[in-house]
Amino acid sequence: MATATDVSNVSPRGSTSPHSVLRAIWSSYFFRKFLRALATIFVVTTIIFFLVRLLPGNPIEIYVNQLIVTYGMPVHEAQDQAAALFAIDLDEPVILQYFSYLQNLARGNFGQSVLSPGTTVTEVILRFLPWTLFSVGLGLLISFTVGVLLGVIMAYRRDSFLDHGFTVVSSIISSVPDFLIGLLLVVWLGVQWKIIPIGAMRGAYSSGMVPGFNLEFFADALFHGALPISTYVLTSVGFWMLSMKSNTISTLGEDYVTIAKARGLKEWRITTAYVGRNAILPLFTILTIRVGFVVGGSLLVEQIFEYGGIGRMLGQAINQRDYTLMQGIFLIITFSVIFANFFADVLYGWLDPRIKLQDN
Amino acid sequence: MSQTSDLSWHQSTEENGSQPPLSLQNVHVSYRTRAGSVQAVRGVTLDLLAGESLALIGESGSGKTTLGLGIVRLLVDTAEVSPGQIIYRRDGRELDVLSLAEGPLREFRWRDCAMVFQSALNAFNPVLKVWDQVWDTAKAHNWNNRSEVRERFLDLLRFVQLDPDRVIDAYAHELSGGMRQRTLLAISLLLDPQILILDEPTTALDILTQRTIIDLLRRLKEDLHFTMLFISHDLAIAAELADRVATMYAGQVVELGPVSEIFYRPRHPYSLGLIRAVPTVTGGFEELSSIPGSPPDLINLPSGCKFHPRCPFASERCSREEPGLERVGDNHFAACWHTDAVQEDIERNGLRGRRAA
Ligand SMILES: Nc1ncnc2c1ncn2[C@@H]1O[C@H](COP(=O)(O)OP(=O)(O)OP(=O)(O)O)[C@@H](O)[C@H]1O
Ligand code: SF4
Ligand SMILES: [Mg+2]
Repeated sequence: MATATDVSNVSPRGSTSPHSVLRAIWSSYFFRKFLRALATIFVVTTIIFFLVRLLPGNPIEIYVNQLIVTYGMPVHEAQDQAAALFAIDLDEPVILQYFSYLQNLARGNFGQSVLSPGTTVTEVILRFLPWTLFSVGLGLLISFTVGVLLGVIMAYRRDSFLDHGFTVVSSIISSVPDFLIGLLLVVWLGVQWKIIPIGAMRGAYSSGMVPGFNLEFFADALFHGALPISTYVLTSVGFWMLSMKSNTISTLGEDYVTIAKARGLKEWRITTAYVGRNAILPLFTILTIRVGFVVGGSLLVEQIFEYGGIGRMLGQAINQRDYTLMQGIFLIITFSVIFANFFADVLYGWLDPRIKLQDN
Repeated sequence: MSQTSDLSWHQSTEENGSQPPLSLQNVHVSYRTRAGSVQAVRGVTLDLLAGESLALIGESGSGKTTLGLGIVRLLVDTAEVSPGQIIYRRDGRELDVLSLAEGPLREFRWRDCAMVFQSALNAFNPVLKVWDQVWDTAKAHNWNNRSEVRERFLDLLRFVQLDPDRVIDAYAHELSGGMRQRTLLAISLLLDPQILILDEPTTALDILTQRTIIDLLRRLKEDLHFTMLFISHDLAIAAELADRVATMYAGQVVELGPVSEIFYRPRHPYSLGLIRAVPTVTGGFEELSSIPGSPPDLINLPSGCKFHPRCPFASERCSREEPGLERVGDNHFAACWHTDAVQEDIERNGLRGRRAA
């Protein structure tokens, strides 16, 4: 229990080597968190390893079926071809597979894709993940910024027409799942009204484009990312608006805001440093946690728009039961969720001076 | 620099002014609510004299905080101040506080009239250090000399008996309740305001801290002659710190007079009730709750004198006609039809009354 008086004993200008005390609390707190994160990653990795193998069918069966259905191959021939192609021994006992997987993982080796032998999972991730980070990240950034600004305006103009209008619209939009919004965008904008060239927007960038840090490429990437990004913005902006609005309203009622007014502070200073900063604080944690769901959240949306990101790759990997690729991508998802949580803690402790001492 | 006499710069200009720095004229405040209009303050006329310390006492809900907030125009949006006038005077200029525009209002706040709030626990922005909030205050009033501001604030922290180096760079959560209250008091003195409004400066503090704050306020009053309006539940504190006392009931000042008059020769049954409600043991930190009956519904006020449903002296006239403040002695006013009966009662039964049990 850290009461105000306890706290005052360990504050920076106390009597006994206070800095080292603080640092000890700080470091041990994060050390504990770090250990917990490691354990979580291990457990999740294990669960995923067995879970993907519990999915009906295995990569070879699926591939064999494909050969039979698409090329009309006889069963034997198809099986032979599959066996020759795949560098995976599915007859090896699962537990042995598991241990060799762990061994490789410990060395940073995610293995090779089952379905495209010769391609490492790491290569696939490095190639597709950046596009997901780009599109979801930008979407998140836009919706956070826009949502927070609108939320503050709504709070200051509470009960105005604008407030009610935004509240209704954003409540409706945020209750529609993202893939549905994606589908509606495709159907309305692309197919029915033909406002946007859906076909040309597939992939992460136009073929023939040379990736590089130049304006042309960036514009092209934005063009291809526009639909997924709009979808992410539409689905999440309402959340930020409403949260920021309610945080702002409750912060406006705080005594320190009234007292700041009593001290004659300028309206702008009060809005930013007294109201805004305190109201936005809890949102930063949610933001960082959401960043962790970047990869996972892109799954359906990227498939709808055929965007060239990791979500679409995951979709393919699942369909084809590409065990190693699935494992790799799920591991990245797990890792980013955990890292985001970790980062949220650090960020919050850094933004909110009250936090550091509370954990002890 | 750190002598207390330096803390107040306004002395010389003030002594000669015969005009009160603050005059409330027939001030009304009502809150709009779903149930109707809450008449929180109903026609208060009051002068705050230069260098005096005026205590506003009364039960919970009598409108003390509303009046204080009204003076610095910090009431919530649902509150309406009308009719009424609040006149502020300094160095011969006169301000109509209620019609001040944004800019002049900001200047008026804290520089002319600072207010220490009822709940100082939450008085500080949790993400800014004390110093940042002090610096904000100085800058807002165009005092841009950082080292000068810091020097002055360190002095003030010493004045309120805090360890200045420890407090100035602390966050509010690193300070105890009493320390926060004293820090707020120090900040309230930063710009050397002409008027200081203190709303229950000692409630919610432990007895020792209360004592420290009362002693500080006494020094403000006796050594520095600050003009103070302080609001309190606690008659003992009012008796100790006030030059004059105003008793409020149902949004009105029902008795006003010098502290000794009010506490030894009250002429309003409500003031008398308050005094008799304080336990005789001179602890006096009890809340005033033992007057029989409860405060009136401020939406549907009783007819006549608002105190009549609870008043032991009430007559038939009291329920029909509302009394106004009348002179009952030297600088002593009371709003009651039967002030003589109150006086007789005190003569017969003593100030504290004959306690039945
Ligand atoms: N924001 C508000 N909306 C509606 N009514 C209010 C509001 N604030 C105060 N009131 C009402 O106005 C009346 C006066 O309240 P006020 O806070 O001024 O009393 P007080 O004398 O300061 O009481 P206390 O001693 O409890 O602080 C009370 O009846 C209260 O319920
Ligand atoms: S006027 Fe009547 S009811 Fe009101 S305080 Fe005086 S005696 Fe009591
Ligand atoms: Mg109050």
